[in-house]
Amino acid sequence: MSVPPAAHSALPRNPSPAPPAAEEVLLAKWRKGLPLKETQLFLLLAVIIGLFSGLSVVLFRIAIDWTKLLAFGSALSPLWTRALLVPAVGGLVVGYLVIRFFPRVRGSGVNQTKAALYIYDGYIPFNTVVGKFITCAVGIGTGQSLGPEDPSLQMGAGIASALGRRLRLSREKVRLIAPVGAAAGLAAAFNAPISAVIFVIEEVIGQWTAGSLGAVVLAAVSSVIVSRWFLGDQVMFGIPVYHLVHPAELLAYAALGVIGGVSSLAFMRLIAFARPRLKALPRRTQYLQPATAGLLIGVIGIGFPQVMGAGYGYIDQAMHDQFTWQILAVLAALKIISTSLSFVSGAPGGMFAPTLFIGAMLGGAVGGIEHHFFPWLTGGVGAYALVGMGTLFAGFLRVPLTSVFMVLEVSGNYSIILPVIISNTIAYLISRQYQRTSLFDLLSVQDGIDLPSMEERREEATPHVEDAMRPYRGTLLGFEDPVQVALTKAEGSPEALVLVKGTRHKWFGIKKDDLQRQAPQLRQTDPLHDLLPQTPLPYLHPDHSLDEVLRRMGEWPLLPVLSRADLDKLEGVVGLADVLAAYRAAGDSIGEG
Amino acid sequence: METERNCSQCGRKIPWGQDTCPFCPGKGEGFLWTARRESFLLLVIVFLIVLFVITGFTVGIYHNVEKGFAVQWYARGEDDVRAGRVEAALADFRTAVSYADGNEQYELRLAEALTAAGNSPGARGEARTYLLALLDRQPGNATVNLELARLAAADHSIADAVRYYHQAIYGEWDFNAVARRKNARLELVEYLLAEGQKDSARAELIALAADLPTDPALQTRVGMLLLQVGGYDDALKLFDEALAHDPHAAPALAGAGESYFHKGDYEQAERYLAKAVQQDPRLTQAKVLSGTARDVLELDPFNRRLGNMERGRRAAMDFRAALARLQSCAATRGIDLKAQGSDPLQTANQQALDLQPRAQQLNLGRDAELLSHVMDAAFAMEQASAKACGEPEGQDLALLLISREQGGAHP
Repeated sequence: MSVPPAAHSALPRNPSPAPPAAEEVLLAKWRKGLPLKETQLFLLLAVIIGLFSGLSVVLFRIAIDWTKLLAFGSALSPLWTRALLVPAVGGLVVGYLVIRFFPRVRGSGVNQTKAALYIYDGYIPFNTVVGKFITCAVGIGTGQSLGPEDPSLQMGAGIASALGRRLRLSREKVRLIAPVGAAAGLAAAFNAPISAVIFVIEEVIGQWTAGSLGAVVLAAVSSVIVSRWFLGDQVMFGIPVYHLVHPAELLAYAALGVIGGVSSLAFMRLIAFARPRLKALPRRTQYLQPATAGLLIGVIGIGFPQVMGAGYGYIDQAMHDQFTWQILAVLAALKIISTSLSFVSGAPGGMFAPTLFIGAMLGGAVGGIEHHFFPWLTGGVGAYALVGMGTLFAGFLRVPLTSVFMVLEVSGNYSIILPVIISNTIAYLISRQYQRTSLFDLLSVQDGIDLPSMEERREEATPHVEDAMRPYRGTLLGFEDPVQVALTKAEGSPEALVLVKGTRHKWFGIKKDDLQRQAPQLRQTDPLHDLLPQTPLPYLHPDHSLDEVLRRMGEWPLLPVLSRADLDKLEGVVGLADVLAAYRAAGDSIGEG
Repeated sequence: METERNCSQCGRKIPWGQDTCPFCPGKGEGFLWTARRESFLLLVIVFLIVLFVITGFTVGIYHNVEKGFAVQWYARGEDDVRAGRVEAALADFRTAVSYADGNEQYELRLAEALTAAGNSPGARGEARTYLLALLDRQPGNATVNLELARLAAADHSIADAVRYYHQAIYGEWDFNAVARRKNARLELVEYLLAEGQKDSARAELIALAADLPTDPALQTRVGMLLLQVGGYDDALKLFDEALAHDPHAAPALAGAGESYFHKGDYEQAERYLAKAVQQDPRLTQAKVLSGTARDVLELDPFNRRLGNMERGRRAAMDFRAALARLQSCAATRGIDLKAQGSDPLQTANQQALDLQPRAQQLNLGRDAELLSHVMDAAFAMEQASAKACGEPEGQDLALLLISREQGGAHP
C-alpha cells in the first residue's frame, strides 16, 4: 500500500523516542530511591536526630522555666504559701498523668534507654517522649527536686527510635539508634557534646565502636548547635579562671573527694532503701506519692527554696560565693533528702542536676571552711563548688570519665582539671569500695530487669593469648629437611601438629599422622616443603585476645605464638584446650572476686 | 513486670505494654508506616523546618518575658538603692541577673551594690567572683577593674589593689574617660596614702599632675595630696595655677601658704595663710600655720634686715624661751637638771648654764660670734626637749623651725 506524500511527511522519519523531560528524570530518580547505603543513611539520620533532639530539649527547658514562672512567680524566693502548695499540687497532676497515661516515664530515663538497647532492639514508644516532656515539665517546674537532663536523654532516644523504626533500618542499626538519640538529648541539655558522648559510651553502650561513635558524635554536635542557636553559647557556670594558690590546696580537694564519696554513698543508700518500699505500696497510693513528696519538699522549700526544682540558678549563686559554708552544707543535706523523696515517689525526672547541686554545695562548703581557716591557702569558693559537682557525679553516678569532662565543659575552665581528677578519683574509689553496685544497676535490679553493668564491663579482665599459651614441646622441623629426616624427628614429638619453620617469617604445620601417611609417597631425600600445604599457618601474638585464637584456629589443632619483635621467634603454642582452660581460670577468678 | 512475647512475624521481643510488634508494619498502620523511605525523609525534613520555626517563635516570646522581668527587677533594685534599702536592692539585682544571664550591665551593677554594701567578707567575695568573671570576658573594662581595686583595697591587698587601679586607669571607660581616669588615679593616691605608701603615692601624683586639665578644684585637690607626700614645688605650681583663675580661692591660698611654709619661706607663707584665713575663717590648719609663721618671722634673729640690737634682743629672748621649755620638759620627765649626767636634757642645760651670764641683749648685739653660740645652745635645748617631750607648739615650734632653717639638727 502506498502512503500519500503528505501523510508520509507527517510521520516521524526517525522513530527514536524524544529525550525525557527534566521532571520525568527527577521522578524516575525518586522512584528509584535515594542512592544511600544504610551506613550513610544512618549518619544522615544521626544529624536529623540531633536536630530534633536539640529542638525538643530547647522547648522542654522553656516549658520547665515557664511552668516555674507561672507556678512560683518571678521572685527568686517564692511566697511561703506557693512554696508549700505548688509542689504538692504539681505532684498530684504528675502522679495522675504517669499512672493513667504514661506509665513508662517513671524514673530518670537512663535505664529505659539501656533497656531499649539491650532488650527491645532499640524500641522506645513515642508516647514516652510526649509523656516525659509533659510530666517532667510539670513536675520539675512545680518544684520536684529533679533535673531535666536524664529526661532529655530519654526524649532524644525516643525520637531516634521512632525515626529509625519508621525508616526501616536494619535490626542492628535500630538497636544502636537509641543511644545516638540519647547522646543528642543529653548534649543539648548540658550544652556539652563531649560529656554527652562520653556518658553514652561509658554508661549506655559500654564500648568504643567505630560503628556507633561517628553517629553519636554527629548527633551530639548537631543537637548542641541547635541548643546554642536558641539558648546562647555561654557556658553553664561562669566562674573566674582557676589558679592553684598553693600546692597544699590539693589536699583540700582530696578532702572534698572523701566527703563527696561518703555523701554519694549516703545518697545512694537512701534511694536504695526507700524506692522498693514505696513501689511495694498499693497502686492507689502511687497517685499520691509524688504529691506527698511535693508537700514535704514544699515544707523544706519555705525555709530553703533553693532545693526546689533543678536548682541551676542556685548552683550559680553558690559559685559566686553568695552563701556561707554553713548554709551550703545545710543545702547539700536538704537536697539529698528532697531529691530522694522526689525520685522514690516515682515522679519522672533526672538525677544529674540534683547531683550537680549537691556536689556544688558540698564543694562550696569545703571551700568556705578552707577559706575561713586557711585564707592564704585557697582560691575562690567557685572553684571548689565546680570541683564538687564533678566529685558527686563521679561518686554517685559512677561515671568517672564523664565527670571530668562535664566539669570542664560546663565551666569552660580547663585549668581546673588537676583538682577535678584528684577529687573525682577519690570519690569514685570510696563509692566503689563501699557500694559494689552502681545506682543505675541498682535501679534496674529493683525493677526486675538484668541490664549489663557498664562498670563491671569496664573492669572485666579479658583473657589474652599469653594467658593460654604453653611452650611447644614437639619437634621443630626445617623447611628443607629431607622427608626421611623429618619423619624420624617427628616420630617422638608429643604434639599432634609438627611445626615447620619456613622462609621469610612463614610458619607451616603438618599433622603427625599426615606426615606419616604421605612420606612414603616421596623419595627419602625430597625436601619436606613438597609435603606441606601451600598456605602457611596462621599465627598469633601473646597480646591477642582469646577470641582471636578461635577466629584463626580453623581445623588446626594448635597455632604458633610468635614474638612481635621477631616473627622467626616462637614464644609458644596455643590450642583449643588451652583456650578453654584459660577461660575457665578467668571464670574462677571472677567467682572468687 | 509483664511476661514478654515474641513477635510471630519477625521473632523479636514485643515490649511490655504493647499489643503488637512495633517493628512489623501491620494492617492499617497509616501513611507513616506505608510511605517509602524517601517520602518519609522528605516529610521529616519539612516537619523539622516547621519545628524550627515553632521553637524560634516560642523562644523569642519566652526571652521577651524574661527580659521584661529582668528590666523590672533591675529598676526595682535601682529604686531600692536610692531608698537606701541595700539588702532588698541586692535581692532585686540578683533576680535581674538570673533573668538576664550574661548581662554584663546587670552583673556589674550587682557587683557594685555588693561592693558598696560589702562590710562582710562574704559580700566582697560574691562581688569579686562576679567581677572576676566579667574581667575574664572584658579584661580591659575599666569599671570592672576599678571595682576589683576597691575590693582589694578593702582587704588591704596593696599589690592587687594597685594592679587593678592601674588597669582601671589605662582601661576602657564607656563615657567621660578623661575625668574618670583622673578620679581613679586620685582614688589610688588616697588609698596609698591611707596605707602609708608615700613614695608610690608621690609617683602617682607626679604622673597625675603632668597632664591635669585647667580645673582649679582638681588642681587644688591634687596640690593638697602633693603636700601630704612632700611635693611642695609641684604643689605650689598647681596652687598658683588655681589662684590664677580665682585669686580669692581660700583652699588654694591655704595650700600655697602651706607649701611656702614647708619650703621655709615664712614670709610668703604668712601672707598666703593670712589671706586664706581672711577668706575662710574655718580653715583652722591655715590659722595655726599662719600663727607659727608669724612667730618664726618675729623670733628669727638671723633676718638680714634686722639691726644688731634687735638681733641681740631676739637672741636673748629665744635663749630664755628655750631654757624655760627645757626646764619644764625636765620637770615633766622627772630629770634633775642640777645633777651631773649623760641625759641630753642635762647636757643641753649644762651648755646653756655656761652661756647664760653672757646671753644678754647688749652682749649679743655687739658680739656676732656669741650670738651664734647662744642660738646654737637655744636650738640644742629645743631639739633635746622635742625629742624628750614631743613636738612643741607656739614659740618653741617656731624656734625649732628656725633651727631647721639654719641647718641645725632636725627634730
